[in-house]
Amino acid sequence: MLQRTFSRALLVLGTILFLTVSSFAADLVITGKVQDEKGNELAGATVTVKGTSKGANTDANGNYRINVTSAEDVLVFSYIGYNKEEIIVGSKSVINVKLTPGDATLNEVVVTALGVSREARTIGYAVTTVNADVLNKARENNIGNSLAGRVAGLNVKGTNGGPGSTAKILMRGMPSINSAGSPLIVINGVPMDNTQRGSAGEWGGADGGDGLGNLNPDDIENMTVLKGQSASALYGARASNGVILITTRKGKKGDFSIEYNANLTADSPINFTDFQYEYGQGMGGLKPTTVVGAQQTARMSWGAKLDGSQVIQFDGNQYAYSAQRNNVKNFYRTGSNFTNTVSVTKGGDNGSFRISASNLDNKSTLPNSGLVRKTFNVTADQNITSKLSVSLLANYIDERITAKPQLSDGPLNANNGYLLATNIDERILAPGYNPTTGREVVFSDDNYVTNPYFVINKYINDVNRKRLISMISTKYQFASWIYAQARVGYDNSNDRINNVTPYGTDYSYQFKDGILLGSGGLNELSNAQRTELNIDGLVGINKAITPAFTIDALVGGNIRKNQYEKISIGGGPFVLPGLYSFNNVVNFNRNYEVANTEVQSGYYSVDLGYKNFLNLTTTGRYDTYSTLPSANRGIFTPSVNAALVFTDLVKVPNLSFGKLRAGYAVTSGEPTTAYGTSVYYGVGSALNGIPTGNFNSNLPNLFLKPFTKTELEVGLELKFFGNRLGLDAAVYTQKTRNEILPANYSASTGYTSGVVGTGSVQNTGLELLLTGTPVKTSKLAWNVSLNLTSVHNKVLQTDANNNPISLGSNRATLGNAITAFVVGEAGPQIRAYDYKYASNGQIIVDASGLPVRGDLINMGTVLPTLYGGLNNEFIFGGFNLSFLIDYNYGNKILSATENYAYRRGLAKETLVGRETGITTGVVEGGAANTVRASAQDYYTALANNVTKVSVLDGDFIKFRQLTFGYNVPAALLTKVPLIRAVNISLVGRNLFYITKKATNIDPESSFGANLRYSGIEGASLPSVRNYGVNLNIKFK
Amino acid sequence: MMRKKLIALTLLIGSAQLSCTDNFDAINTDPTRASSAIFDPNLLLPSIQYNHVNANSGYNGPILFQAGWIQILASTTSGAANYYSNADKYVISSNTNDYLQRTWSIDYTAASYAYEMEQLTNNNAALVNLNNIAKIMQVQCLANITDTYGDVPYTQALQAKSNGVTLPAYDSQDAIYKNMLSRLETATAALSSSAALPTNDAFAYKGDITKWKKFGYSLMLKLAMRLTKSDLATAKTYAEKAVAGGVFTSVDDDAYVVANNANGYGNSNGQALTTGADIYQVRWSKTLIDYLKATNDPRLSVVSEVPVDGLAANQLVTAGNSTPSAQLGLPNGYDLNGGATDISKSPNYPGGTGSGADATPIGKYSRPTTIYRNRDAPLFVLTYAETELLLAEAATRGFTVGGTAAGHYKNGVVAGMQSLAKYGTGGTISSTTASTYADANPLVAANALKQINEQIWATTGLLMNFMESWNNWKRSGFPALTPVNYTGNFSNGQIPRRQPYPTNEATLNTASYTSAVSKLSGGDNWTSRVYWDKQ
Repeated sequence: MLQRTFSRALLVLGTILFLTVSSFAADLVITGKVQDEKGNELAGATVTVKGTSKGANTDANGNYRINVTSAEDVLVFSYIGYNKEEIIVGSKSVINVKLTPGDATLNEVVVTALGVSREARTIGYAVTTVNADVLNKARENNIGNSLAGRVAGLNVKGTNGGPGSTAKILMRGMPSINSAGSPLIVINGVPMDNTQRGSAGEWGGADGGDGLGNLNPDDIENMTVLKGQSASALYGARASNGVILITTRKGKKGDFSIEYNANLTADSPINFTDFQYEYGQGMGGLKPTTVVGAQQTARMSWGAKLDGSQVIQFDGNQYAYSAQRNNVKNFYRTGSNFTNTVSVTKGGDNGSFRISASNLDNKSTLPNSGLVRKTFNVTADQNITSKLSVSLLANYIDERITAKPQLSDGPLNANNGYLLATNIDERILAPGYNPTTGREVVFSDDNYVTNPYFVINKYINDVNRKRLISMISTKYQFASWIYAQARVGYDNSNDRINNVTPYGTDYSYQFKDGILLGSGGLNELSNAQRTELNIDGLVGINKAITPAFTIDALVGGNIRKNQYEKISIGGGPFVLPGLYSFNNVVNFNRNYEVANTEVQSGYYSVDLGYKNFLNLTTTGRYDTYSTLPSANRGIFTPSVNAALVFTDLVKVPNLSFGKLRAGYAVTSGEPTTAYGTSVYYGVGSALNGIPTGNFNSNLPNLFLKPFTKTELEVGLELKFFGNRLGLDAAVYTQKTRNEILPANYSASTGYTSGVVGTGSVQNTGLELLLTGTPVKTSKLAWNVSLNLTSVHNKVLQTDANNNPISLGSNRATLGNAITAFVVGEAGPQIRAYDYKYASNGQIIVDASGLPVRGDLINMGTVLPTLYGGLNNEFIFGGFNLSFLIDYNYGNKILSATENYAYRRGLAKETLVGRETGITTGVVEGGAANTVRASAQDYYTALANNVTKVSVLDGDFIKFRQLTFGYNVPAALLTKVPLIRAVNISLVGRNLFYITKKATNIDPESSFGANLRYSGIEGASLPSVRNYGVNLNIKFK
Repeated sequence: MMRKKLIALTLLIGSAQLSCTDNFDAINTDPTRASSAIFDPNLLLPSIQYNHVNANSGYNGPILFQAGWIQILASTTSGAANYYSNADKYVISSNTNDYLQRTWSIDYTAASYAYEMEQLTNNNAALVNLNNIAKIMQVQCLANITDTYGDVPYTQALQAKSNGVTLPAYDSQDAIYKNMLSRLETATAALSSSAALPTNDAFAYKGDITKWKKFGYSLMLKLAMRLTKSDLATAKTYAEKAVAGGVFTSVDDDAYVVANNANGYGNSNGQALTTGADIYQVRWSKTLIDYLKATNDPRLSVVSEVPVDGLAANQLVTAGNSTPSAQLGLPNGYDLNGGATDISKSPNYPGGTGSGADATPIGKYSRPTTIYRNRDAPLFVLTYAETELLLAEAATRGFTVGGTAAGHYKNGVVAGMQSLAKYGTGGTISSTTASTYADANPLVAANALKQINEQIWATTGLLMNFMESWNNWKRSGFPALTPVNYTGNFSNGQIPRRQPYPTNEATLNTASYTSAVSKLSGGDNWTSRVYWDKQ
């Protein structure tokens, strides 16, 4: 009922808009020039009509032109680093101003929820804006990764998944059990789809990438991070993980420029392993002596001491039995990323536009894998009348990924070479197939571990995404104090996947009656369409009730529809070699997936201001979710927050600005998938012509209701010594209730999982941002900023029985070490088996002298509890140098690499007892063990039984980014035709670890793209060091 | 005016997008699946049947565990890297913990389908047969699970949806067996040829309710005979009830599912045996081949071949030499690592085949023939041969089952050979050959239990029903096997007698699991004995 009323209200709103179009007076045109204190023209200064969203920017000569509706209107002039100036229009038609240098923050405007611009000083919650200039020189192909270390409260990790990989972004710890974790991404005021398209798990798979990663960094002006629930209350469900607002670059009034940006960087693979190179291939201390023995032991370094002698290999040839340390370097190549972007911007009196075209050519470090991304972006703003304005955004992306790599422990993963025995040069595996028959050459005892050269020569996994993110927004300014706005956003992506197990893949050979049927298979030839439609309308007022009291309020409604449909065909084995067509298979299969959801919402926001130093904001939102049963579909969630600029009341020496803020907010959420609230039966493929039926092993829940998240936040902002030193601090506590999550059940219940609505987690945290300008002279400026986040998560409840909820694993330790949500512990928690200890604390071994399994213990969370970054920027003349160091403490890693390093005799630890064997511990009952176990048996049993040896410490400090730039002085360019400005920057990212605790691995490495696989590592692409050059040319 | 129209149009188009939430139920209805209102429970029967046989084949456990434990198959793979070490040497591979939970997971899934089929047909007189078949199939699945793991959830199992039980208690195997036998009795008796027949039967019965009735009683016989060591009285009672009800009478009554790889219902044994590494590494055990050769068993040339000489040929499926005299079983417990347990150090090592880079040290050992390298091959549940052999034992023990022990034994031996024909013409052994063999190798009363149970072992093993070979070995002690004692093994040099519980039971069903483990004398390991497996 409420929803129907709301829909009608929108209709009425539309009618009012229509009827009132002609009822306001004509405009006055004001022009003028904005200059600094020395009389220099300020280009790009902002001129707004106070209390409205109407605004203009000055052109290159400092000139502006703006329409006002009455003589009482007040023009506000602002420019970053200068004091704001307010002038009443009166009878003037030309208004020139000189701005004086001042406090940047006092008049800083930030974009907040729903795209509403507000003065930073009036906001009662934590907001951080990152400008694109720090993101797009030393760039990441997924711009999400560029936020790492930049924003207090934000934790970002990439995935070692090759081209088009996901950026895992977590706001304020683990935001909820249920979520994939990623914040809501809003582009120019309209949410975009950021679905993670699949992730590798313990059984292998590829990282399907996310939605954010499609954007071209060159099109982005800035990214604003709304951290708390107050900030995001107006966006509803998905904003419970925080919100990242992306503002794209736009044309500015009076501006006409053509800009070219080239960015060329190289990705250099890094080998983090620190294995033993004393003993070589073999088992039981012996070298292989036969071809089959060599094949059997290709990934076993339990052989003899490396002595340089000639030893047979799987291919029948003899090779030196000596250390091969360069397999990573030899197998992978130096990757490259080459981006070219051209953009044209132009601004006129009543409108502006920007058009850009960009091409990214990314060659992965994995030979034959790469990505080409073409992006076309158009933004336009137009005043149709003095009251009616329209904004448009169209962002078209064509992304083609070639040979998207398989990760983790599945076949056709090319990244297993690092586990080869210490004396094998990976290059002897090339070309990986028999040139005559095309059949894979199996190099090891396990043909599910595909020959890496076969993979890079034959594997096909091509993903083509065509995506259009579009938005149209209209705004009608009835009067200086009232406006209405309607927006429609449509994000449509089509993914075409062609994934082939190549003909010749050894494990895929199929025979019948001794006759070869074929090999390989078409895993998937599919087309998936994913759309998100957002329709949003609101009416806002913005008025001074008395000179002291202002009100800024809006009421609106939103409809969001998400649709997903995927059709795929496949089959196998291939009959003819090399023809990877759907018709060339023995058996066919097909798949169809669909998911449709809708949310309807109404919301309001009221902000009351008193003398511009005290602001009180309250919001409320009612959401109805299609994914929930009709009885429990809707929920109202409120928020309230306040900001007090206390330095306007009391003057404290050296304190130039002080603000205290506090907020309380509730947001709600829905199940992550559709159709979870009814029982369904399916029809499966026929068994020898007999139709079959089935039902999902995931038990639906008929009684779900929206989950909620509440947050209390207090913050303090201080600026000292004329803004030379700043502090922004926030403390918060959050709690979720009735979280909808998958519970794991024992298969003996008839189901392996179920949907429950009982989850609850708590986060408490502290965020600090310290900024300073230690040096500021005419020749040199040094800016420094340090951010710090401390967050503590605790799972309060899981399912009704408070059973742990299992998440991920890796296949090396499958079931014996997992991540899980455990009540009372921080999530996701690594659980692994300890030694079994005797009462005197000694470890217990079995009759063979091998360590036995003790208790399953909680080893710590996979998410850091303390993290942040330190950024330094030096500006001297035309040069600037900046570097970012970030740090990460308190998390653990479940490492398959470490486990395999023990099992396969690669870990340095396995050198102990190689010659002598190991006699350790006590037997059950307490008597000293006298049985000597061989090192191979001991460490194999250790890796299997005592999985805590596979759990590593994730702490690190990393030298993340370095940029060194030079702006060619304008004086040098005055005589150069065409060119107006040139900036050239040398950049480097992910340069080196200043310190890290984990050996053998990169503590940031992971194969899984979501919370489920956070902190689980193994057999993904090597991490890379990235360095290059960025060239930016602006044309006249 | 133009402008107004434009605006009006925009707004109207915008408003047209608005809707109300009345259609939310429709939006949240999965268009690809059915509600119970239109679902036909008959469709679940083939899903039960396939999942159950799949839980008992291939990498889902048996070919990597039981097949080697009871020395039907052997393999020289070793170390942590290869999965056949689990079977041949009781040495973990990197994925052992995965393999050991698959029978549990898949067979409980099968049982869950059966339970749901029962629920959907309760109080529906027209579907009384389907309802009782659902009960029989639950017994079939749960018996397999309890035989493999010991005490398991039974009375509270499968009820997450119907009763909200997510932490089912484990029942003692003693109680499970008693309940299964009485349940079978009721359900089998209730099958009626006058009611609707099941329409989607994946067994060769094609819905024939007479055959289903025989299946129910034959299953009862098998379960009854499991108890000969632990509860002889119950064994006798139910074995006699089974015979009175009517058990299998010919190989046409064999319960099996023909796999259908094209549609995703592959034979997991066939899949394993056509995988590159497995073609090379999986051989018949010396124990089996010696047994078959000792009596010139006609099955030898059907099931066994020595590959063409040389490493490359050993890795291909090309048919080898099936001459019975050439067959040689691979001794269990050896590797290719050059040390003391290298195959070349085995007694009477025959040498390899091929030379140079094409040399293979295991080239002279027999491997399964082409009939097994078939992903569409049948997967056996229970055969007439087993039934007759169990009746031979029952008669030997003095149970009232009709006929003579020797007569049942002969029937069992002949049937065991004839069931191989279900693998296709390559598996056919003529009835004359089979009878001639059976007559030449009659049951000797003094040696009856040994003969009968060795025959069950060979018959089920050659039909690749390794679970059954293993369970019957546990029960009967035949054949007498010499365990492998390979360094670093997980069962203290003993042949494993159960599979440990899936590792996630400790976290998913903690209290029940802990309680069950506390009742295992040796703890949750590979050598603890299940209830009916008395010393």
